Amino acid sequence: IFFYPGTVKMHMAVYLVAMCRAVPVNDLLDRASQRSDKMHSLSTLLTQEMDSHFPPYGRMQMPRPADCHTSILQTPNDKEQALQVSESDLMSLARSLLRGWVDPLAVLSTNAITLPHPAKSSISSKIQELQEHSKSLADGLDILSGKMGPAAQTISFLPYTGGTDLGQDRVTILNKFNFLLSCLRRDSHKIDSFLKVLRCRAAKLQPELC
Amino acid sequence: MMKKVGEVVLLWLLILFIQIAAGEGYSPPGKPTNISCRSPEKETFTCWWQPGSDGGLPTTYALYYRKEGSERVFECPDYKTAGKNSCFFSKNVTSIWVNYNITVVATNSMGNTFSNPVDIDVVYIVKPNPPEEVVVNVTEDKDWPFLQVSWKPPKMADTRSGWITLIYEVRLKLENENKWEELSAGQRKIFKIYSLRSGGTYDVQVRCKPDHGFWSEWSPTTRVKVPEYLPQERSMWILIVVFAAFILIICIWMIYMNFHSVKHYLLPPVPGPKIKGIDKQLLKSGKSEDIFSSLVVSNFPPTTSNYEDFLVQYLEVYVPEERELIMDEGKDLQDDSFKTENSTCDNDSGRGSCDSHTLLIDKGGGDKEDGQQTDQEGSQAEAEAKSHEEVMEKEHLACCHENAQIPNISKEKEKVKSWPSLFSPLPQYSLSPVNRPNKPKMGNQHCLSDGLFTPNSLSSYFTQPGPSTTKSFRSNYWECSLDHKQSHLLHPQTAAHEHLQAENDLNVAYVDYMGAPLDVHELSVRPTEYVEVQRVSDEDVVLLHPVTPSHENSYTISHQTEDYSRVRMVNNNNGLLLLQRDDIEEEKNMCPYEEEMVSRATSTGCRASVTSTLPNSATGINTALPILDEKAASGYVDTATMFGLPTY
Repeated sequence: IFFYPGTVKMHMAVYLVAMCRAVPVNDLLDRASQRSDKMHSLSTLLTQEMDSHFPPYGRMQMPRPADCHTSILQTPNDKEQALQVSESDLMSLARSLLRGWVDPLAVLSTNAITLPHPAKSSISSKIQELQEHSKSLADGLDILSGKMGPAAQTISFLPYTGGTDLGQDRVTILNKFNFLLSCLRRDSHKIDSFLKVLRCRAAKLQPELC
Repeated sequence: MMKKVGEVVLLWLLILFIQIAAGEGYSPPGKPTNISCRSPEKETFTCWWQPGSDGGLPTTYALYYRKEGSERVFECPDYKTAGKNSCFFSKNVTSIWVNYNITVVATNSMGNTFSNPVDIDVVYIVKPNPPEEVVVNVTEDKDWPFLQVSWKPPKMADTRSGWITLIYEVRLKLENENKWEELSAGQRKIFKIYSLRSGGTYDVQVRCKPDHGFWSEWSPTTRVKVPEYLPQERSMWILIVVFAAFILIICIWMIYMNFHSVKHYLLPPVPGPKIKGIDKQLLKSGKSEDIFSSLVVSNFPPTTSNYEDFLVQYLEVYVPEERELIMDEGKDLQDDSFKTENSTCDNDSGRGSCDSHTLLIDKGGGDKEDGQQTDQEGSQAEAEAKSHEEVMEKEHLACCHENAQIPNISKEKEKVKSWPSLFSPLPQYSLSPVNRPNKPKMGNQHCLSDGLFTPNSLSSYFTQPGPSTTKSFRSNYWECSLDHKQSHLLHPQTAAHEHLQAENDLNVAYVDYMGAPLDVHELSVRPTEYVEVQRVSDEDVVLLHPVTPSHENSYTISHQTEDYSRVRMVNNNNGLLLLQRDDIEEEKNMCPYEEEMVSRATSTGCRASVTSTLPNSATGINTALPILDEKAASGYVDTATMFGLPTY
């Protein structure tokens, strides 16, 4: 028997779904949204910590957020658009974004250790925590998407092309680091928003949450 | 030429105009600052700025923004909705997850000034409106009321679709307090508050915050009053407290009334020594010598203040040197007599209580002496103390009565008696037991030379602590005894007797002889009369004076100074029995043989010893005498009381 990783994952997902059938979807969504909320809070703290010692003058020179590697993914820009997106699409978007940040988070984690910043240890620990949350959320969303239809299984590929090296000089390194963190902050907010919309849509039995 | 002048004039006018303009303070507007934007529902947002100085000219402001990824610059679509110096972005122009670059420009006729640009993302600046429809209900739950606060999210915030997730916070305080108590309610819209103050009035407020945004303002205050729910308990507690206080007061009053009995019950008094003159502290120290010294030296003999009243009569105690000292012949006799005494008497009891065939059996003349012995002792002490110089020794016949038993105690060797022993030379007495075979119990009598009773003995006795006085006493005793041929002092028993003597140095003279012992004397028994030793003269004469046998402290001085009494006999314990003068003849008649003995006794050398020591009267004697008197009258001699008096 040829062991395909993808096949294995599929089988595992089916197995896990079967195992988790007892847990209701809305509860799963609630847990997922809580984790995404935590992720966004961490990224917000990271940017604030960077700004405490990073003069804001660099912002003028910073690349605009439109240059984030995930900007190619079309996401709703306002509430009407967002509410018109189907649950499966919302789930796909969330999962795509989540998948797209696996590599950049690894780069950030590597560079945080040697970051020329006084709060690099705190930043490094937060980034590691982010990685853990991201991994856990991705696994959970994989299970959830199994219950939502085929569209939820579609994941857009968002490659990161920034490379492992952020730069040579201190200013460049810090600028790039800051830019990545800002992109992460936004994308984590998107993920959190999509999941919370999904939560409210699925919470017909618990209207008090929404 | 004219053109040049015109140009110069124009130039001057221009310069003047500029100067005028500058002089009036016109300048370009100041830079607008503090640009802040907020979105209440993540669908629209508003920006406010703070204008700078207007430069004295009407200044207009304009806001321009630019979205990320585009270079197009847009101006604020609405300057009015949100008020002055604001710009309102409606839904149409609002995009989320898009950076806005906003700049405010102030313009006046002098110029324009750009503010610093600000980058914002709508999703990060969400600040909702306060919760609405805050309702506070006071709900009764088993007599314990609680507040139930309920509210609704702000209208504009779309929480139903999950677009905005709000968490709420409630705070309340009593209406007259300043500090709020904040309680987190999560995403719930109903909150219960317990532990309320009965009858208090509370102010309640609610606010909300999006999951990633800013807190809203507090809702308007809702005031609510909590009903009284504690009155019953309070009145009941008041009743209980009053009742308990009442009972407590009664208990305190009862204890106060019976304080002493309670104190006696809880802390029974520790009995102390009853012997007067014995210092309790010395007793605690445990030195017997010191204790006995205090008994002997200072307060002996006990006297009262008016001891002078005692010495009314003179008593001549004539102690011939050759006079025999009647000694206890045999120890057996002594022991027997002592034993009998022991069986019947104890030290603490009065003489009257002793079932003794006592002291003076022959009351004819000896009644007085019986009681007088104690008086003599006391008065003797007084005499000593006063340094009386005349001791008249008259007779000296003291008939030692056979069973003259001083109930006190000679037997009790361990007890120290504060009474001086009155010893009289009673050679007759000593012989009497010999001559009276039918008196088996003769033992106790020893008539000693007046060394016993003399001031010498007394002085030495009194001035020195007990043991030494006894020694001196014994020395006198020995003197007398040695001089007497008939004395039985050399009897081997003397040592024992002497020892006994020493111990009984402070024998209390028997006071009362209620009934004549049957076996003692055939002499008639007289009613007891007491004599007090008033003083001791230089010639070793004890001056006595009668004392009425009243039981009070009557120290009246009788005026019968001419009455003398002689020592009738010395009882077992060396008590001196004195006879009155008028009785002396009787005695003489009755005891002819005694006289002989006496006369012989007086010739002994005891007298010498007596006289020599007279001047050295002890100081502590006086105090003993009056006590002797009173105690004699009462029939009970308490050594403690004797020595309780101050010494002179």
